[in-house]
Parts: sequence; C-alpha cells; structure tokens
Amino acid sequence: MSALSDPRRAALNAIGDVLIPAALGMPSFTGAGDVDAMVDHVLSLRPELADSLNQALDRVGAGEEAATAAERLNREDPDGLATIGLVASSAYYMVPEVRRIMGYRGQEQRPATADEEHDYMRDNLLQPVIDRGPIYRDPDGG
Amino acid sequence: MGEIAEVLIIGAGASGAVAAKHLAEAGVGVVCLEQGRQVEASEFYGDKPEWELMSQRLWHPNPNVRGLATDYPIDTSESDVNPLMFAGVGGSTLIYAAHWQRFMPSDFRVKSLDGVADDWPFTYQDLEPFYDHMDVEMGVSGLAGDPAYPPMTPPPLPPLPIGRIGRLAAKGMNDLGWHWWPAPQAIPSRAYRGRSQCARRGTCMQGCPEQAKASTDLTHWPEAIANGAQLITGARVREITVNAQGLASGAIWIDRDGVEHHQRAEKVIVCANGVGTPRLLLLSGGDRFAGGLANSSGLVGRNLMMHPYAATVGYFDEPLDSWLGPAGQAIHSMQFYETDTSRGFVRGAKWNAMPTGGPLGMRSAYGGAPLEEAWGENLHRATQKRFGHSFEWGIIAEDLPDPDNRVVLDDSLTDTDGIPSPKIIYRNSENTEKLIAFHLERQREAMEAAGAKSISTTTLMRDCGWHLMGTCRMGNDPETSVLDQWGASHDVPNLHVLDGSTFVTSSGFNPTATICAIALRSVMHMIETRADQRVAS
Repeated sequence: MSALSDPRRAALNAIGDVLIPAALGMPSFTGAGDVDAMVDHVLSLRPELADSLNQALDRVGAGEEAATAAERLNREDPDGLATIGLVASSAYYMVPEVRRIMGYRGQEQRPATADEEHDYMRDNLLQPVIDRGPIYRDPDGG
Repeated sequence: MGEIAEVLIIGAGASGAVAAKHLAEAGVGVVCLEQGRQVEASEFYGDKPEWELMSQRLWHPNPNVRGLATDYPIDTSESDVNPLMFAGVGGSTLIYAAHWQRFMPSDFRVKSLDGVADDWPFTYQDLEPFYDHMDVEMGVSGLAGDPAYPPMTPPPLPPLPIGRIGRLAAKGMNDLGWHWWPAPQAIPSRAYRGRSQCARRGTCMQGCPEQAKASTDLTHWPEAIANGAQLITGARVREITVNAQGLASGAIWIDRDGVEHHQRAEKVIVCANGVGTPRLLLLSGGDRFAGGLANSSGLVGRNLMMHPYAATVGYFDEPLDSWLGPAGQAIHSMQFYETDTSRGFVRGAKWNAMPTGGPLGMRSAYGGAPLEEAWGENLHRATQKRFGHSFEWGIIAEDLPDPDNRVVLDDSLTDTDGIPSPKIIYRNSENTEKLIAFHLERQREAMEAAGAKSISTTTLMRDCGWHLMGTCRMGNDPETSVLDQWGASHDVPNLHVLDGSTFVTSSGFNPTATICAIALRSVMHMIETRADQRVAS
C-alpha cells in the first residue's frame, strides 16, 4: 500500500525537485530513480514523520507552482518544510545510483590492514611530538 | 523475589556491569535491575542503508527524541545542554564513541593547583592500577608513550590507524608545534576476547553491528551472568527502601506488566548515571530522609557537569574518506589542556579529530533558513564540500562544578510508570564560554595549518550531554560531599554509587574509562572489606 495519496505524492515530488534539483553532476529528486519506493520505505521506518509531512503537503495549493509553494511553506510552516526536506533527502541519499555518483558505498566494512598501522612512525610524522617530550603537569611539582 | 540479595545493583550500564562481573567472580550474590532491555547487534543500522535516517530517531542519544517506553523523559526547559543516555543492558556504552581516555594527574588536584572546585579524595596514582585493569577488560587499542601522560602500562592492542583525516590533522598540528597522539579507544584493532576486529563502519554512536566496540553487554555481562549474577531487565526502580536501622534494604521496582516488586538486599549499589542516580535518591528516603536518601549534605543532584561541546569543521579539496570509522576520534590533542591564567580562564580541554559521517547530515535542521541557503543547487554544493572532504576537531571543555547546575524532580513530567521525571537546570559558566572561545580560535589555526579551504564552527552543540557527572560527589567531608572515596554514602553506609555521579570535577576527558576504573576500585575494596561492612539483614 502506498504511504501517500496521489495528490500528496505529486506535491512531494514537485517540491522535492525544487529542494533537490539536477545540478553539479547530480540528478534531481525524481530523476534519481525509484524515489517513490524510497519515500514509502522512509515513512515505514519513520512513521512519526507522516502527520507533519501530510499536513505540510496539504498546504500546497492546487496548481501552485512548486518553487512558490516551497518558499511559502518555508516562511509559514518551516517545520513542515523541514519534514519534506528530511523525507526527500533521506530517500534520495539511499538511492543506489545517487550513492554510486557520490562514490559512497555506505558505511562499509573496511578493517584496517597492517600497512595502515603505525604509518606515522614509518614516515616520522609523530616524531616531533615525541621529541618535544612530556607536557603533563605533575601535581606534586616534580 | 523473596530472597535477599547480597548486593542489589540498579542499572546495567558501564559501572553496573563492572560491579556485577567482579562481585559475581568473588562469589557475591548479585541481582541487577535494569529498566531497559537486552539489545541485539542486528537491531543496529550501521550496516544498513537506513543508518543516518534511523540515527535521527530510534538511535538518537537524546531520550526525549527517542521517546521509548524504556526511557524516562527529561525536562530540559531550563538547561543549555540536553543530557544524552541509553537505557539497556550495557547502558550508554551501546551508543558511546568509546574514546578511552584517562584523566590526567592534575585533574585530581584542581583545587590545589588552580584554586577552583575541589580536590578528589584520591590521586591519579591511586586509580592507575584500575585504569590498567579496565584497559584489558575492555580491549583498548592505543599507542604507548603519549607525552601528555605520565608513563603508563601499554594498552593490550595496537592503535587503530589514524587514517587520512588523522594524518591531515596531525600535519597541521606539527606545523604549529602542537601536541597530538593516536587516540586510545575501547575498540579492538584485532579480534579480542570473542569480539570482532573493528570494521571501521564509523557508526559507533548508533551501536556497533559488528560486535566489536567494547560495550559492557559484551565485555562484562556474559561473565557476570556465567558467575551467577541475576540480571532482570524491564525492571524500573521507583524507590530504594530503608529499614529501621537507617540502612538500605532493597528497592521497589515495576515490571513491564505494571506489577510492583520489592527486591530485598543487604547492600545497594546505584549505577543509574549522573541524572538517573540523583533522581532515584531524591525519590527515596521517605520521612526519615527528608530531601532524599543520602542527602544530608543537600548535594544530591547538584554540581551537574555535562561537558559543553564545541567543534570546528575544516573542508578540504582532497578526498579524505571521512565517513570511515571509528566515529569517535583518530587523534587527540592536549596542547591546551592545562591552565594558563594568561588566557583569562582556568582549566582546558581535550581535542578529538573525528570523521564527519554520511551524506544526509542534519538536513532536518535547516527549516526556516533561506531556502536557497540549504536547498537547491546549494544542497549539492554543500554536500560535495563536506561529504568525504572534511573532518572535525571537537572540544571536550572542562566543566567546573556549580551547585546551581542540578538535577531535580519535575513537578509534572513522569515516565510511563508514573514516576516523576528529572528536570535539568544547567547554565554554561563564563569560564566555559571563555574556554570554548579560546579553543575555537586555536582550532581555526589548526585547520588552517592543515590546509582547510574553508572552516565552520559550532560554538555549543545543544545535544552534547553525553557525560553526566558530579551529582553525588565523593569527598572526605560529609558536609561537602555525598559519598566517601569508595562510593559509599556518608549517611547510609550500605548504599553505594559507582557511576559518573561520583565525580568531584569533570576533567576535559570523556569519562567512561574513569567511571569504570572508579567502579572497579570501589568494588575491589568492597570485596576486600566485606567482612567488616554493615549490611541490612
């Protein structure tokens, strides 16, 4: 079952494209992939966002231009606009294609390898700190 | 529940787990009441795409944001800082960053050295063997020889790599001639005692899905239970009971079906953190102890310290993989830790160089700002600038004790069992504000030296009260302290507190290593002197 009615989804997608446009090599919100499914996923995990989201989307006038609506919501209902932004950006940054473009594989497993350890000793990065010696204060004045 | 426990522990977090493990190993009969539940590693989102989304709600460190029934709500309307915590087996170690920092020798002698606050009733040297012991129990990774400390026993595991962000931060510090060192962490760089090697997912503060990070549900509770400790979850304590002799005799607790129980005990140890412990003491005592149990000094709940946190983020051209873990710190610095009165304030802070996480960041925090500032093309611009190309120097600012900063019982707010909630009354001091301003200026210099193309600062993060300290302070004088140096109440000799409430001063360090070392020292003393102690019969 869809988490949003058709009019609300249309409003979300329109404002989503204002908040997240195609620019700087990144796709727009609706151009990123199956954001409808991602939005539903977001709302299934964060159901407490639904009321605020629906109320904000219901404030968008029929036929109101999306950029105008976004500006107006930001003035009149900043929390509602923030919820739209949170839902849209959360969905967007979970789209695999968006992550691929960003070079982000998620919070990946990357256990340290031996050659990463102590690299600051091999190239003497830490040596100046060692050479300067102790910096702690001895309470007994020693 | 008719049996009398030798020791009743309230709270299964860091100090409660240390106490339970060592008491049980010594053959002491232990019952622990924990209001939260056992959390499984599969419940954490660090290995899932939804990690950032869920970190803003289900795994948020602020109980008022999570709103779980296992949490108690907290009135923060009169506080500059929100207290952060987690109720469950392992407590807040489930979501801490595992910075495993010892206090410095000077931290125990603040009054003598700087003329402020108070000295502790013991010294760094008194605590050192227990720091050493806890390093082994937790599986600390670190590099011996940090010149910011006296010589110490090396930690059991080699340090985690400092990574690209650590190297960049270090180069900046070297240019300035300032101290830095690979940071000690309670995160295993090798597989250790049944725990995995750190996978560097960088999600430590929303729970470790790898079961690598040292949280006490993994490091202490299995052995405690194997040695006979009884752990009861979903058990919310509403009052510590007292017998006719004025000794603690147990606790009344409520199960998740709303049924009340009385767990009787010969001795009671409260380990409910720097907010939960004073709350419970203020709820207890009845007519005999007006103003709360163990509170003849009037100091239960007072001198709350929470370490106001400020930070500087530097943005760099080169890729830094700055979502890579550990989340807590790659390197630390104590260059400006000690007092220099020419700066116009006393005491100082530890710095920690940290990664900056995933792409979502705090998108929800932009509501009301000009639309074009946070969204549109600027969203992509800001994300590309920050994501993978930045790191943070954080400031753990020493918070001096002030009796006006306190935990009290709220007049109207309650938890789901109808027990009065705590209210936090807390304001930053002028000393803290000057300290933070100074450190932010120095951090800007450090970022510039590291080659940052741009820099941003956060002067005070409201959701930063991870470190809850001072609300049942230790001391030798019953008129100016709640507990003796072993965590025993001056008023009620078989009532002990072992969590961060005990702290006399806060230091400028993350406190869990010291909480655990103090708990261990106190429990070992309790075991050694058990034949001489007054207990409830």
